Amino acid sequence: MGRYVARRLLLTIPVLIGASFLIFALVYALPGDPIRALGGDRPLSPAVQAELREEFNLNDPFVIQYVKYLGDLVQGDFGTDFRGREVLDTIEQRLPVTVRLTVVAIAIEAVIGIIAGVLAGIRRNGFLDNLVLVSSTIIVSIPILVLAFVAQFVFGLQFGWFPIAGIGDGWYSYLLPGMVLAAGSLAYVARLTRTSVAENLRGDYVRTARAKGLPKRTVIVRHTLRNSLIPVVTFIGADIGTLMGGAIVTESVFNLPGLGRAVYDAIRAQEGAVVVGIVTLFVFFFIFFNLVVDVLYAVLDPRIRYD
Amino acid sequence: MTDRNRRGTAVDQQQADLRHDEVQAGTQTGLDEPDVDVTDARQNSLWSDAWGELKRNPLFWIGSLLALGFVVMALFPSLFARGADPRDCSLANSQGKPSAEHWFGFDQQGCDYLANVVYGARNSLIIGLLAVAVVLVMGILVGAVAGFFGGGVDSLLSRITDIFYALPLVLGALVVLRSGTLGRGVVAVAIALAAFGWMTAMRLVRSQVIAVKSSDYVAAARAMGASNGRILVRHILPNAVAPVLVYTTITIGVLIAAEATLTYLGVGLQRPAISWGLQIDAGQNLLRVSPHLVLFPSLALTLTVMAFVMLGDALRDALDPRQRA
Amino acid sequence: MRLSKRSAVLVATGLSGAMVLSACGGGDDDGGTGAAGGDGGSFSVYIGEPENPLVPGNTNETEGGQIVDSLFTRLVQYDVETNEAVFTGVAESIESEDQQTWTVNLKEGWTFHDGTPVTAQSFVDAWNYTAYSPNAQGNSYFFSNIAGYDQLQAPTDDAGNVTGEPAATEMSGLRVIDDRTFEVELTSPYAQWPTTTGYTAFAPLPEAFFEDPEGFGEQPIGNGPFQAEEALVPGQGITLTRYDDYAGETEGNADSVEYRIYTEQNTAYTDLQAGNVDIVDQLPPEVIASAEGEFGDRYLETAQGDITSLGFPTYDQRFADPNVRKAFSMAIDRQAISDAIFNGTRTPATSYISPVVDGFREDACQVCELNAEEANRLLDEAGFDRSQPVDLWFNAGAGHDAWMEAIGNQIRENLGVDYNLQGNLDFSEYLPLQDAQGMTGPFRSGWIMDYPVAENFLGPLYSTAAIPPAGSNVTFYSNPEFDQAIAEGNSAESNDAAIEAYQNAEDILLEDFPAAPLFYRLNQGAHSENVDNVIIDAFGRVRVADVQVVG
Repeated sequence: MGRYVARRLLLTIPVLIGASFLIFALVYALPGDPIRALGGDRPLSPAVQAELREEFNLNDPFVIQYVKYLGDLVQGDFGTDFRGREVLDTIEQRLPVTVRLTVVAIAIEAVIGIIAGVLAGIRRNGFLDNLVLVSSTIIVSIPILVLAFVAQFVFGLQFGWFPIAGIGDGWYSYLLPGMVLAAGSLAYVARLTRTSVAENLRGDYVRTARAKGLPKRTVIVRHTLRNSLIPVVTFIGADIGTLMGGAIVTESVFNLPGLGRAVYDAIRAQEGAVVVGIVTLFVFFFIFFNLVVDVLYAVLDPRIRYD
Repeated sequence: MTDRNRRGTAVDQQQADLRHDEVQAGTQTGLDEPDVDVTDARQNSLWSDAWGELKRNPLFWIGSLLALGFVVMALFPSLFARGADPRDCSLANSQGKPSAEHWFGFDQQGCDYLANVVYGARNSLIIGLLAVAVVLVMGILVGAVAGFFGGGVDSLLSRITDIFYALPLVLGALVVLRSGTLGRGVVAVAIALAAFGWMTAMRLVRSQVIAVKSSDYVAAARAMGASNGRILVRHILPNAVAPVLVYTTITIGVLIAAEATLTYLGVGLQRPAISWGLQIDAGQNLLRVSPHLVLFPSLALTLTVMAFVMLGDALRDALDPRQRA
Repeated sequence: MRLSKRSAVLVATGLSGAMVLSACGGGDDDGGTGAAGGDGGSFSVYIGEPENPLVPGNTNETEGGQIVDSLFTRLVQYDVETNEAVFTGVAESIESEDQQTWTVNLKEGWTFHDGTPVTAQSFVDAWNYTAYSPNAQGNSYFFSNIAGYDQLQAPTDDAGNVTGEPAATEMSGLRVIDDRTFEVELTSPYAQWPTTTGYTAFAPLPEAFFEDPEGFGEQPIGNGPFQAEEALVPGQGITLTRYDDYAGETEGNADSVEYRIYTEQNTAYTDLQAGNVDIVDQLPPEVIASAEGEFGDRYLETAQGDITSLGFPTYDQRFADPNVRKAFSMAIDRQAISDAIFNGTRTPATSYISPVVDGFREDACQVCELNAEEANRLLDEAGFDRSQPVDLWFNAGAGHDAWMEAIGNQIRENLGVDYNLQGNLDFSEYLPLQDAQGMTGPFRSGWIMDYPVAENFLGPLYSTAAIPPAGSNVTFYSNPEFDQAIAEGNSAESNDAAIEAYQNAEDILLEDFPAAPLFYRLNQGAHSENVDNVIIDAFGRVRVADVQVVG
């Protein structure tokens, strides 16, 4: 197992470098002059523009810029944005927000999704099953920005159940945005659990257990759930990485100062160092949680052994 | 590390990948080996069984009917627009409420909204279908090559796939569209979405190909002197498509919905093009005063996405024998 | 100055992306200064994310500008009613014999928040620092009319690479006479110069700044009514506390003010409705109809010192004829667009000059009203080819889509000319293209005044000297008579003579018609029951010192 993990970790290095190179190339390929844009309708003086281009290596060819970036990175310097803030500071300050939002979303997705899925799976094609099927299909189909604005307006303002915006109320602030962010995946977890439970309930070992006279509840909780959860855990694990990078809309609408919003602004401003720094971090988390899932897998299922 | 060990690790890795992909694609749930059954007769029976199963599934019929309806709407929008021209606008009618005469009311520019929503179907569907087509082509091509040739080719292609996999879809599409090299039309949006959405399909194909490759059937074909290309196209790929097909059906809906998000982020289609994403984005600013501007395109979008999700669900149930009661 | 992210980014708010600053108090007229003396309490104000460190010389957008204005008091301030410069700031007087060499006398007793005195040197050092190009300060160009400015600019080659150091570090036109007096020599006479010193860039800086400019930008030390006891947290905001030793008249009423950063205007408004934020100085357009009823006398409307125009590419053969340009202007129903797209929050423009400054004439522009018949006649006379669609240009992602589309629809309806929208490019591409004469049709042009003088709406936008890359004359209009009229106004000895000259210049402009004036913006704000005496000025700034906490 240890050797397997080490090997997987080693494999992340080329992927990380490749991803940072790809992103750097994409940002470099963005047309336009970010320094000219800083001034807006009233341009900065030509000498000031030249100084800024010099400072951010914008006159260098792409490969030189990338090598300079990597060189700085090796020394722990992630670069700065155009206003001079360290990228590392930005990450340090915004990462906790993104992490909290992701944790809340994942918790909601797992708890509600699994409960709904189990209830639906126990009686396939029953009323609950159809309810879960229809409602999850609808939720998956609604664009997230519509969901976000409507949820904020209805539950935040009209009913006043949740804070409307910002992070001033601690973990409570993350509840409504977490639900919006989790909505799509939640529907998915519910369906995954449902199919998995339904399938497992037909397994021989369940029949045996029932034949022994064990109550249905015991069978489900003791035997079925553990097996059924394996694919669900896989999905949720992979989803952590996706949610972290995919929260731009949610963070904007609920005014959460997280990384998604920062990377969006940086793309618009063409602040290469910020984009590359944050996206590479997303990539790292994505790979990391996939590894965690694979390890968890072996724990949940004794049939799997690595190495 | 011994040779045997290395192979063992590689297979484990491959199995782990497969689990992810299938779970993500929603095609399989268990730990079993992929169902590989390569004789023509069995293959035929898989598909005919599936059809028999499909016919009995109400989801399939509802989904098909809905999808068909929207396809017809995309092809012949004027049939549904009640005689209104989506570009015939007068500011005097700005944000008019729905009425008997104008079922969906008017948008901010004072254009008939029913006509606009109806005409929006075309762009939204083209984006979804085109993107999925690119996803399929990329996925099958890269996946088949990686799986079939294995070794260094596989490692390289798999790592490249990992890189794309790890980049968030919206962020990737955002950067590509902002680069402007593709322009900002329907094709550009579709390609940008596909460029960061083909990886699951690739992994699905790759795993299937690897599984099929080692079967006796392929060994027999190889012994008879069939070329690599022929083996791949005639014998391996047909067996690898089922899970990908299910995956793509569900993905169409996801991609159509993603257009709305891209528009909100300022890189989707551009006016005066007509699409549901543009309508939702414009209406979102007027949500409090004219909720109908968000309601109708959202409804159309939701129904379309639902149609494809239902089709995909039905297809999955039909193609996965273990799901049958 | 330009409007910051709150409209230039995510949300299509319908606000023009690059305008905001000046005018007369609309809603709340019960006294400009407010009751003096601290009644205590604290309140919160919505802002967008500041784009730059909180250094006056580097703050060239409205969000950071709002905070910097509370932290720094400059030589003069602007009267909230008349928008004229008043000597309630650090300057006792600013005088000149020849409108070219100005003597500035400072008042006694002014101190920075760290206790050090505000001296003539504090101003001269700050201005030199800002002007010196290697410091890369965004507001450097505001000092370009001071003698010796050119010596502080690093030489560059044709490709825009810096090729050396500037020749000097101090402008020869700035001379300290004693602790409370300094002299400013301009490159040419400019009678309005004292008024310009109320702009953000002209603030003094303490010695502490020069020791650590970077740290200063997070937590500045100013001389204004409020001080920063903690640093700005990006994405969240900053809380300022009252500076008790403030020497000016406009001392703060409240104990503290929190600037809270929102990325979505809509979200800020929803938070205001729920009572979580006290002042929102810009309301999303969609709520304006309902906000007036909902907030009653807590709803504020202020005319802004800005203008939105439809610029014409005078370099393009198709738009070279002034009559063609006038025809397009007469094809636009400004009021209808204001009502339908902006909820009536735009005033149709009737002059190149904003109504909030002296020199505005209500009926200057005869061709700024819908007159389809006359427009078609002019177009026919000019032999304009109607079979080719016109391109309408605007920068992407700043909410210009809807109103530009409405203009296109009106052009199609009234002139029978079809249109294409060219709204794909962000500022980073759009502006360089504009500077390179790349506009193939009429384009959106926005301007927010830097300081409340009529000249600011004319010279920077239409004079030959302001042709890119030097300035913002993006129509590439050039007429020596116009330049001459502006110069006459600048060196005029009395205000009346100056205004007359500027109006002459405007008449020339109206004849040549390089751009069609479209709208002036009305700013809508609202506040909670927790605060009173909320004043939003013509620059779109909340006068935070005046705000009283009552809740």
